[in-house]
Formats: sequence, structure tokens, C-alpha cells
Amino acid sequence: MILQDKRGEEKMISIYWFIILLLVTTGIIVMVNLFYGSPYDVREIEANILAEDVANCISPAGNLSSEVYMNGVFREDFRDFFLEKCNLTFDSSNPFEDTQYYVEVNFYKSIVLKDPDFTISEGNPNWKPDCELNPKKHKNLVRCVEKQFYVNVKGDIYTVKILSMVGKTEQNVK
Amino acid sequence: MRSKRGQILVENLIFIILNLAFLAIMFLFVIKQGAGATILEQTYAKQISLIIDSAQPGAIIKINMADAKEVADEKGVPFVDVVSFNKNSVTVKLSKGGGYTYTFFNNVEVNSYVVEDVFYVITVDRKMKSGGATP
Repeated sequence: MILQDKRGEEKMISIYWFIILLLVTTGIIVMVNLFYGSPYDVREIEANILAEDVANCISPAGNLSSEVYMNGVFREDFRDFFLEKCNLTFDSSNPFEDTQYYVEVNFYKSIVLKDPDFTISEGNPNWKPDCELNPKKHKNLVRCVEKQFYVNVKGDIYTVKILSMVGKTEQNVK
Repeated sequence: MRSKRGQILVENLIFIILNLAFLAIMFLFVIKQGAGATILEQTYAKQISLIIDSAQPGAIIKINMADAKEVADEKGVPFVDVVSFNKNSVTVKLSKGGGYTYTFFNNVEVNSYVVEDVFYVITVDRKMKSGGATP
């Protein structure tokens, strides 16, 4: 009688063990597919590099470039040929697709960051309002990076604020 | 008594071996998934694109792509055709499909070649302006 019970118990344990193995297998397969199925999101790194490239272009060695500011005025031709001057291209691989980048550079003479003295912008500005939203909650929106630094222009301190944005949602978010 | 104890030991041993086999299969499954052509194509395309974005003209970058070569050889893709550049985009192709393309914003002339079987050397140069000589 005792032996029969024990055998029954062992069979029950093996069935339970089989179910546990099945559950573990399903869990691992689902988790692996979730992990490798979603693309790597590199947009924040890309936006950071873009902002740094723009900062290096505007102020190569910590001083404001003469291409940007000369004889007490900001140069309009730099604004007009900003992408060419900074060696940037915002062309998309798909000709029917909007550009996936946006850069805005604001120069402020005062410490209060209001009404910039000079502004440069290039790319797709339609996403700008999305930068206000929390990126952790809205993964399907663009990634924005803001950088700020100061430059000395013949005794005047200018605050330079760079906003860079990268779209490419389809390639970086599932 | 002895035979009974021996039986229990054999059963336990088989049980442990089966569990180990199961774990090994799962481990191999995870490794295989991570080294798939699609994943590697995406990883390398994005990695190369970010490297080019942060590179200055004149930079020479050497990338070890041994794992990509292994997959390309398996799928019958020549290693010299794995990485290709078109205007401002890089395509990494490890299978007979179209590969994975990612764009970069740095407006530079990019070229690549294979060295030591598994390394890709990427050269970044200033783009030649068409229709005029530089002073």
C-alpha cells in the first residue's frame, strides 16, 4: 500500500517537473524573442554625437569660429550654408522619406535664455514639440538632446544652446 | 536493500543528466539567437554608422568582424561584400537578403577594405567638392 502511494507520488512529481520544464522553455523562448526581436535604440547616442559635432563646428577650440561671428556680427552666410560648413548631411536613404534629423543652435548674449541674438536651424522641425514629452513614456517619439556652453567673444560671454533631434523611429523602436 | 538504493541512484543520475541536457540546449538556443545574421547585420550597421558620425576626416578605423565572417561564410556571402557604403548610408549584408542599412549624418567620403581575413578597415576622408578645386 505504501509502495503504491510512493510510486504514484513519483509519477505526479515527474508530471509536475515536465510542466515546469515546459513553462521554463516557453519563458526563455519568449524572453529571448522579446530581447532580440526589438531593435537597438541608438538615437540618443546619435543625437549626442550630432550636438557635439555642431559644437565643434561652431567653436572649434573653445572660441567662436570666425565663420560664425566676424566684425561684431553673426554671419548670415554661415546660417544659409550651415550643413555644408559643418560637414553635415541630413539626406535620407529613402527619397520619399522626410529628413530624420533636426538641429537648432541659439546664441544668447544675456544669462537669461530668452530671445536669442542669433539662431541657426536645419532639418525637420515638426518633431520639436515632442521633445517636451518624457522619452521613457513615449518611446515611439524622437530622441532629443540639449547641450549648452559658453563662448568668449572679445570680452562678451555668449551662451550657446544646441538642440539636436533624431527620428528614425522605425529602425530603433519596435 | 542494495539493489533498491542502486536503482534510486541511477534514476537520480538520469534525472540530473536530463536536466543538464535541457539547460545546455537552452543555453545554445540563447547563444544562437544572439549570433543570428539579422541581429549582427543591425548591430554592425549601427555601430559603423555611429563610428563614422563621430569620426574626423583622415580617420582610419579597424573593426574586428570575426563573428560576422563566420555567419557570412555559412550563408555563402563573400566577406568583401559584407559592408558597403552608398552616399551617407552603410549596408551590412550577412545573408542572401538585402541586408541592413543605416544612415549617418557626417558628410564625408567613406571607403572600406578587408585586412587579415576578419578585419574591416574604414577610411574617412573629406568629401571632394564637385566642380571646383580647393585652394
